[in-house]
Amino acid sequence: MRLRGVRRYHWARDVDEALSLLAAYQGKGALLAGGVDLARSPRTDLEGLIDITGIGLTYLRAEAAGLRLGATTTLAEVLGHPQAEGYAGGILRETLRQVAYPALRHMATLGGAVVSAHPWADIPTLLVALGAEVRYRSAEGEKRAPLEDLYGTDFRRVFRESVLLEVVLPAWAGAFAFEKIGRNAGDIALLNVCAGLGLVEGRIAWARVAVGGRPERGERLPWLEGMLVGERPSPALWERAAEEVRARLEVGSDRRASAEWRREVAGVLVRRALLRAAGKAALCASTSS
Amino acid sequence: MAVILGRARAVVGQNVPKVDGIPLATGQPKFTLDLDFPGALVGKILYSPHAHAEILAIDTSEAERVPGVACILHYGNVPRVPYTTAGQGWPEPSPYDTVLFDRKVRYVGDRVAAVAAETEEAALEALQKIRVEYRILPAVFTIDEALAPGAPIIHDEPDAQGIYDPQRNIAAAVDIPIGDLARGFAESDVIVEETCEIPYSQHCALEPHCVLAYFDEDGRLVLRTSTQVPFHVRRIVSRVLGIPLSRIRVVKPRIGGGFGSKQEVILEPVAAALALRTGRPVRMALTREEVLVSTRTRHPYRVRVKLGAKRDGTLHALEMEALGNTGAYGAHAGTVLYNVGSKSLPLYNKARHLRFHGKAVYTNLPVAGAYRGYGATQAFFALEVAMDELAEKLGMDPLELRLKNHIREGESSPIFEKLGEGREGKAQIIRSCKLAEALRIGAERIGWYEKRRNPRREGPWAYGVGLACAMQGSGITGIDMAAATLLMNEDGSFRLLVGATDLGTGSDTVLAQIAAEALGVPVEKVLVYSSDTDFTPFDTGAYASSTTYVSGNAVLRAAEEVKRQILEVAAEMLEEPVEGLVLERERVVSRRTGRSVSLAEVGHRATYVANQRQIGATASFACPESPPPFAAFFCEVAVDTETGVVRVERFVVVADCGQPIHPKLAEGQLEGAVVQGIGHALYEELLFSERGSCVNRSFFDYRIPTALDVPEIEAILVPSEEPTGPFGAKSIAEVGINGPLPAISNAIYHAVGVRLTRAPFTPERVLAALKAKGR
Repeated sequence: MRLRGVRRYHWARDVDEALSLLAAYQGKGALLAGGVDLARSPRTDLEGLIDITGIGLTYLRAEAAGLRLGATTTLAEVLGHPQAEGYAGGILRETLRQVAYPALRHMATLGGAVVSAHPWADIPTLLVALGAEVRYRSAEGEKRAPLEDLYGTDFRRVFRESVLLEVVLPAWAGAFAFEKIGRNAGDIALLNVCAGLGLVEGRIAWARVAVGGRPERGERLPWLEGMLVGERPSPALWERAAEEVRARLEVGSDRRASAEWRREVAGVLVRRALLRAAGKAALCASTSS
Repeated sequence: MAVILGRARAVVGQNVPKVDGIPLATGQPKFTLDLDFPGALVGKILYSPHAHAEILAIDTSEAERVPGVACILHYGNVPRVPYTTAGQGWPEPSPYDTVLFDRKVRYVGDRVAAVAAETEEAALEALQKIRVEYRILPAVFTIDEALAPGAPIIHDEPDAQGIYDPQRNIAAAVDIPIGDLARGFAESDVIVEETCEIPYSQHCALEPHCVLAYFDEDGRLVLRTSTQVPFHVRRIVSRVLGIPLSRIRVVKPRIGGGFGSKQEVILEPVAAALALRTGRPVRMALTREEVLVSTRTRHPYRVRVKLGAKRDGTLHALEMEALGNTGAYGAHAGTVLYNVGSKSLPLYNKARHLRFHGKAVYTNLPVAGAYRGYGATQAFFALEVAMDELAEKLGMDPLELRLKNHIREGESSPIFEKLGEGREGKAQIIRSCKLAEALRIGAERIGWYEKRRNPRREGPWAYGVGLACAMQGSGITGIDMAAATLLMNEDGSFRLLVGATDLGTGSDTVLAQIAAEALGVPVEKVLVYSSDTDFTPFDTGAYASSTTYVSGNAVLRAAEEVKRQILEVAAEMLEEPVEGLVLERERVVSRRTGRSVSLAEVGHRATYVANQRQIGATASFACPESPPPFAAFFCEVAVDTETGVVRVERFVVVADCGQPIHPKLAEGQLEGAVVQGIGHALYEELLFSERGSCVNRSFFDYRIPTALDVPEIEAILVPSEEPTGPFGAKSIAEVGINGPLPAISNAIYHAVGVRLTRAPFTPERVLAALKAKGR
C-alpha cells in the first residue's frame, strides 16, 4: 500500500498558502495536482498532501509570444483546447494523443509531467524541443528559467521547494513533429523524438531536435541542429541526419530495449520527424506568404 | 460478425440476453469480496526474496507484538501435507510437491508465512517484522541449467510424491513413438525442422485471486472464493487441513475471469488455515504484483518440430520434442506436457510415423500452471510455423498443405489412444469437422490468394498475410464428470442447479438455453444457480473446454427426464397417453385433440393437487470422448522494416464449435482468445533479474493488449453437428488462443522473409532478425 504515512490533506487557496504548507512539512509534504505520479510513489515518509488544483493554475492562453499553460492544466484539457490545435504545426495534439490513456490524461497535469520528468516520458522531450520556459515560485520569490537549463541542474530539489506556476511555449515560425515507439498503445516510450524546423526561402532557418527514452530523459542534439541550419530539405539531408544520430547519439540498454536497437531506430525516428516537420513547415510557409 | 446458422431452434442458437447480464452491467455486488463481514481479519502473505534457499529459522516474536495481529502461520506451526495446487480430477495427475509452508523456498515469490490481522496496515507491518534466516542455495533459471549434470536439486524433500525424476529436476516426461520415425524421414521427399519458444506469461484476469473464509452458524467452514474448481477446492482443502469434506462448503459467486489461473487452489488453504487458527472470518485478496509473480503462469516451452512429407505434400513423418519449464512446482506439469502432443498432433493424422517426446523441468522461477490453450498453444506455434516452412519448401500454398493433411470426419489418430491426461488416452474418431470450410471462408474473408500473390509495400511498411490451424478438445475423456439438478416450480418455471462454474464465460446462460430448449420454454423461465458445493451437484469445474459439452450434456439429460415427468402429469390431466403429447411453448398439447395444459397448470397440479410430487431430476454426464473444435486463423500484419515494429492490421478467425448454443458468446470467446494471443505474440513476457526476481511485476512494464490495441477481428462460426454434444455443440473456450502466434509469425515471414520463432516478436527481435538476414 502506497503513501501509508499520509495523515492530512490540505486544499490550498493560493500559491502562497501552498508554499507555506510545503515549508511547514519540512520535506514530508507533497503537492497534489493530478496525482498520477504520487499514486505510484514509493515514499512512505509523506505526511501531508497539498492540493493545488484550486489555486488558479488551470488555463491555456494564446499570446503573440506563444502559449502559456497553467501547471495544473490536464493533458486532456490541452488536447481539447482550440488554441493548442494550431500551435507549431499541431505538435501538442500530435504528442499528447500518444501519452498514456484517455482516463489518465484526464488526471495527469502538464506541471506534473514537468516536475516528475521521467526519463521514458514524452512530455520532457516535447518541451525541451519546443524551448519551453517554466515559471515557478519558492520562498525566495518567483523565477523563470528555460526548462532545458533547469533539467541540467538539481531540478528535483528546486521543485520540492517550489510551486510550478506555468509552462511558457514560444511562438515558432515553422513546425514540429513527434515520433514514438512504445510496446503497445498507451505505453511509455522505448524511444521518442521531437523535431522542428523553420524554412526561409527554401532553406532551414532553425532546427530543434530532442531524443528521449534513450533510456535517459529527452535532450536536444545541438550538433545535429547545427548541421541542418542553412541546408535545403531533402531526403538525402534527412538520411545524413539519421546517420549522424546513429554515429553520435548517446544511448543505453535497459530491460525494455538495447542500446543497439535504440541507436539504429533513433536515426530512423529523427529522419521521419524531420521529414514530417519539414512538410508541415513548408505548408506553414506557403500559407503565410 | 457473420454467423452461418445451423438448424433453427427456439432458444439454442439464439443470442438471448445473458442471464446475469443486467446485475453485472449495473454493478450489483455479486463478486467474492462484495460480501463484507464486519470483523473479518485481513490475510497477507510473506514471500521469499531468494530464488532457492533453506529457511534456518523464523522469528515471529516482534511481528506478533504488532497491535491487531491475530495469527502468524509458517512451516513451524502448520501440518505438513504434500499436495498439488492444481485443481484436477482424481487421481490427481500433478505431483505432490507443495506444502502449505515449507522449510525451503524455491523461487522469488514463494510462500514463506501468512499473517492475519485486524487491518491491512497491521498485517503489512507484521510481514515486515517477521525475521527469517535463510541459507541461500544455488539456483537454476533455465531448462538447460536445470537439466545440467550437478545442477542443484529443487525438490529434494523426501515426502514429495509423483515427481518423475527429482534428482534431475524432471517433473514429468513422455516418449511416445508410433510407427518407425527413422524410416518415415528416410521415405520423405522434403524435411523441415523448426524450434519455437514461448516465455513466461500471465493470465491477467481482471479480478485478482481472492477468498473469504468464515464459519457458518453450524461451525462449518465456508470458502467464498474466486475459483474455476469449487469441488476440487473442497477436496484439496479437506485433505491439506484434515477437515472432513462434509464440514466444508465452497461458494463460487460471479468471477472476474480465470483463464486457468483459478484452476489452481492457491489462496483457499491459507485463508482456511488462518480462519481455523483464529476462529474468525478472514479475507484475502492478492495485489496485481502478487498475481503476476506468485500465482501461476503459462508454461514456458521450447518445442522442436520436424516434418517429413511426400512430394505431393502428404505428411509422412512427424516428430515433436517439447521441453517445458514448470517453475518451482509441478502444477499441471505432466498434463500440460501431454497436451502439447495430444491436442496438436491429431490435427495432421496423415503422418504415419510419429514421435512425441519431452520433459517438464523444475527451475527456480515462478510456478507455471493451467492457462487457456494448455500446451496446445505452445505446440501449435512450432507446428504451424513448421508447416509454413514445409509449404514453402514444397512450393505449395500453405492453405493447400493444410487442406491436404488435416483430419476429417470419420477419421482418427493414434494419438488419441496413446496420449491422455498425463497417462494413456482413449481412442476416438472425429464425428464433426468443418475445418476445410473454415479454411475456405477465412481465405476469402482475408483475401488470401490475392494478398499472397501481391504483397503490399508502403514506404518502410511491408504487409503480409499468414495462416494457422488449430484444434483443442471438449472436456477430458474418462475424467470429467458434471451433474445438473433441474427442479420445476409450481408456476411452470424451473430451477437449474449446476456445479458448472461460470467464470465470466457466460456458461450459466448457455446451460439455461440448453434446458430451456429441451423443455420448450423461454430462457427467462430457467433460473440458474452455479456453483455451491452444498447446493449444486458435482462438476469437475470450468477447465479443459468442458462446460458446454460436459455440463451441457448433464443439463440436457436432466431436462429430458424432467420433460418425461411433465408429460406424465399432463397425461393424467388430459387423459391421454404420453405418446400423444408434445411439449412446446410452455404448454403440453394433445396431438389428437389439440387440447392443452400450461406448464403452470402442470406444476400447480403436481405441487398441490393430485399425485403430489416434486417434478425434478438430477442427471450426470461422464465425458466418454472429447470432440475437438477446429479453427482456422488468418491475419494481415504490417512490419516496419526500419524499426521492427509489427502491427496486426486484421484478423479473421473461423471456428467449428459444433452448433453454437449462443453465437455471440462463442464469438466473444474467439475474439478474447485472439486478443490474448496477440499479446503473446507482440509483447507479453515476464522478465527476471540475474537472481531470478521478476522485474516487470506490474502493468506498467508487463504490457497486455488494451482496447486501443485490438485490430479488426472477424470471428466466424462454421457450425457442424457433433452427434455426442448437447444440440450438436462442442467447445469454443480455448481453441482461439492457439492460432495467433503462428499466424502472426507466418504473416511476418510473408511480409519480410524472416522467421520469428521466439515470442514475443518485439521491435528489437524483429529488427535483429531483419539485420541478420541483411534486409
